[in-house]
Amino acid sequence: RALLSPPAGALRALRGLAAGPEMHFGFQSVTEEERRERIYQVFESVAKKYDVMNDSMTLGIHRVWKDILMHKMNPSPGTLLLDVAGGTGDIAFRFINYVRSVRERQLQRKLKHHQNLSWQEIFESYQKDKFNSLGDSQVVVCDINREMLKVGKQKAQHLGYSEGLSWVLGNAEELPFDDDKFDVYTIAFGIRNVTRIDLALQEAYRVLKPGGRFLCLEFSHVSNPLLSRLYDLYSFQVIPVLGEVIAGDWKSYQYLVESIRRFPPQEELKAMIEDAGFFKVDYENLNFGIVAIHSGFKL
Amino acid sequence: GSAHGRHCHRQQEQGSGSASGSGSGSARPQPPEPSLLRFLVCPLSKRPLRYEEATNELINEELGIAYPIIDGIPNMVPEAARMTHKKAPGQGSEQP
Repeated sequence: RALLSPPAGALRALRGLAAGPEMHFGFQSVTEEERRERIYQVFESVAKKYDVMNDSMTLGIHRVWKDILMHKMNPSPGTLLLDVAGGTGDIAFRFINYVRSVRERQLQRKLKHHQNLSWQEIFESYQKDKFNSLGDSQVVVCDINREMLKVGKQKAQHLGYSEGLSWVLGNAEELPFDDDKFDVYTIAFGIRNVTRIDLALQEAYRVLKPGGRFLCLEFSHVSNPLLSRLYDLYSFQVIPVLGEVIAGDWKSYQYLVESIRRFPPQEELKAMIEDAGFFKVDYENLNFGIVAIHSGFKL
Repeated sequence: GSAHGRHCHRQQEQGSGSASGSGSGSARPQPPEPSLLRFLVCPLSKRPLRYEEATNELINEELGIAYPIIDGIPNMVPEAARMTHKKAPGQGSEQP
């Protein structure tokens, strides 16, 4: 990996006296404070091109991953979802679509069984508002980055999402939500960028209702050696170039690729989730471990 | 954007009612989603907040801090908060 020899010695010398423990920013060694700052800047920089880049880098497959996450969640109408690091709204919109279609099927089944409705009743049943098309489902999108939220909100407006959706600027490590509030907590491609993952997991546990579910979709580790080599080649040779060509930002995508390599593998993340108090913790590999969905319950 | 010109008898020079993305100084502050207020607490103390319409902020009386709502999005991070004994933004004194 001659391409990326990090200037470890020089950096450490400069920061040797700096406050706080040393952490990683991709392959660089930085203080906690710097790491937060840099990550904030990465996402501030990529926000407007975030979706385009996701499509280019993953050849659109990230959409499938997110769909799978939603199917795994299988939310019923009335579910309260907290989507953390949900910036541009991908998970939130899918959630709304999902509960809306479940709700529609519920209503259709109900109507089919009431064969002897009066015309008045049939008329009323077509007034969607009366039947609450989302069935009281709600999703709160929480992200620490204002630019990402801005893009998400604009997207929502553009695509016509308004009901049951709200946006909050907050820190995954210090959530501004009360205890035992949410049915489901999701964090999709976000936990990798959290500086104190243990705190974020503890907060996730805190805000979930008893019986609530934690779901994490994140890049993970490929164990197959051949695939791993190909994946590395693609990651380090292609992605930063795409980043430069599409978003004019090589460095941010270099960070992205490095942060994936630095992130704990499946079993280690599972252990961390268990440490936060979750039960029945499990994970599912997608595409041989390029991505994994971790799940846990607050019991 | 779509044309809202169906019954456009009034002449509106500044934008036809679409969302005020390019905020000038006199942009109307957007209040938060009412449903959101059910869930929100102070991230530091996890205690309830009071919505102050006058300044469009969420106030933690106990700690004396106020979180701003910017473009309809509550900024629930301590870095964004101000101490309530200081003047609110737009009420005279300059804030750093």
